[in-house]
Amino acid sequence: MSLEHKPMNSTTEEHKILEGIVTGDEIIITAFYKKNLPYIRKYILRNSGNEEDVEDVFQDAMVFIYQKLKTGSLELQSSIRTYFYGVCKNIWRNRARKNKNLVITGYLPEDIEIIGPAVLKDLECKEKEYIYHKHFLNLSDPCREVLCLVFKGVNMKEIAKITGYSEGYTRKKKFECKQHLIEMIEKDPAYPELQGNPEKK
Amino acid sequence: MKRTPEIFEKIEAYLAHTLSQEDTIAFEQEIAANIELQEEVEKHRIMHTTLADQDTLAFKEKLIRISDQIKQEEKTNPTLTNRFSLFKIAASIVVLLGAGSLLWYTIYTKNQTRDLDLYSAYYKPYPAEDIIRGKASKETEEVVKQYINGSYDSVVHTLEKHPGLKKQQALQIYLGNSYLNTNQEEKAVKEFKTITNTGKYYEIAQWYLSLTYLKLNKSGKAKLLLEEIIQYNGAYKDKAHRLLIAMKK
Repeated sequence: MSLEHKPMNSTTEEHKILEGIVTGDEIIITAFYKKNLPYIRKYILRNSGNEEDVEDVFQDAMVFIYQKLKTGSLELQSSIRTYFYGVCKNIWRNRARKNKNLVITGYLPEDIEIIGPAVLKDLECKEKEYIYHKHFLNLSDPCREVLCLVFKGVNMKEIAKITGYSEGYTRKKKFECKQHLIEMIEKDPAYPELQGNPEKK
Repeated sequence: MKRTPEIFEKIEAYLAHTLSQEDTIAFEQEIAANIELQEEVEKHRIMHTTLADQDTLAFKEKLIRISDQIKQEEKTNPTLTNRFSLFKIAASIVVLLGAGSLLWYTIYTKNQTRDLDLYSAYYKPYPAEDIIRGKASKETEEVVKQYINGSYDSVVHTLEKHPGLKKQQALQIYLGNSYLNTNQEEKAVKEFKTITNTGKYYEIAQWYLSLTYLKLNKSGKAKLLLEEIIQYNGAYKDKAHRLLIAMKK
């Protein structure tokens, strides 16, 4: 992973932050987390959110930036912090509008300038992914191990060998874990809204 | 639709393109005729594409771990945030009672956090309504709106993008305050320092500069500035005096 697409206006400090995020540097990420959480918390709590919303929005915005950095598609027109705040605010605006039925007006003009219209659309599309991430990480370790291998495309025989289960049990486990994951996702209050299927609420 | 291992395996094989051509056509016909199956296939498709990205999952997991560590630290170490709230309440009560005393601080202040506690008690964003005077440009109005809404990151973005607007010293005060609210204290220092003593915003800038130093734990610099503000004998004299006393305790 490299920062080949390093934004033009990034300073040394900015570059360190971006590099820290993309390489998963725990010290840099922790410092960024500590420094910026209070601002995001203030914004979300002031706009009908709770502490859980704060955490989800903050982490999903970090994931969004991480993925952009990894694919070299991060285009900064401002500082990383300003961009990050713009991403957080828009994730929250989308969620508040959908999940809490809050009347929030359209995009803020300054956000279109800071993060761009394509990114605003991208954020809406990513919502489903965030729900899948969240519930996958809540699965038990054995489930995660089996499903990780399944998603990597490893065949059942190989998975059985790696995990030490019999092939039959591995198949059973895969089915149960997948089913459980789907059920958790379907139960997520945000999921029906993302399906555009209000009667499922 | 009842979920079974057989259906799951068929969907998986379909998504992995390992079904025979005949089976693929038959399954696609089945999907087209059954909305529930369509939805199920879509769920599996998203699951496989999204969760195959192990790097992102590992990153998300790291964030959860970091968040837990921060929460743990906050539990074992009384948080500044909570302390700030306490001090805000305390300060309000003191003002309301007219006691004029800041003895409250001595209960809570400890060496390292004292400056930050005082900062929290004394800092209030410069009020927006006081600086809207005369005919403002569209950009200025936008900045004012952002500032009033507490969108400090947007204020920073707009003013950094339009440095010409900073000719208005009032907007420089906005920008400095916005830096303070977005944890960019060093930038706030620079901004407040550019306001010269010939302008009417000089005293305001000095007041916020002293608070910025306080936030940065540079109490020596803050004290010097507070003494200057007292000498200046303007609107911030009383506040500066009270803060200085509190700092010397």
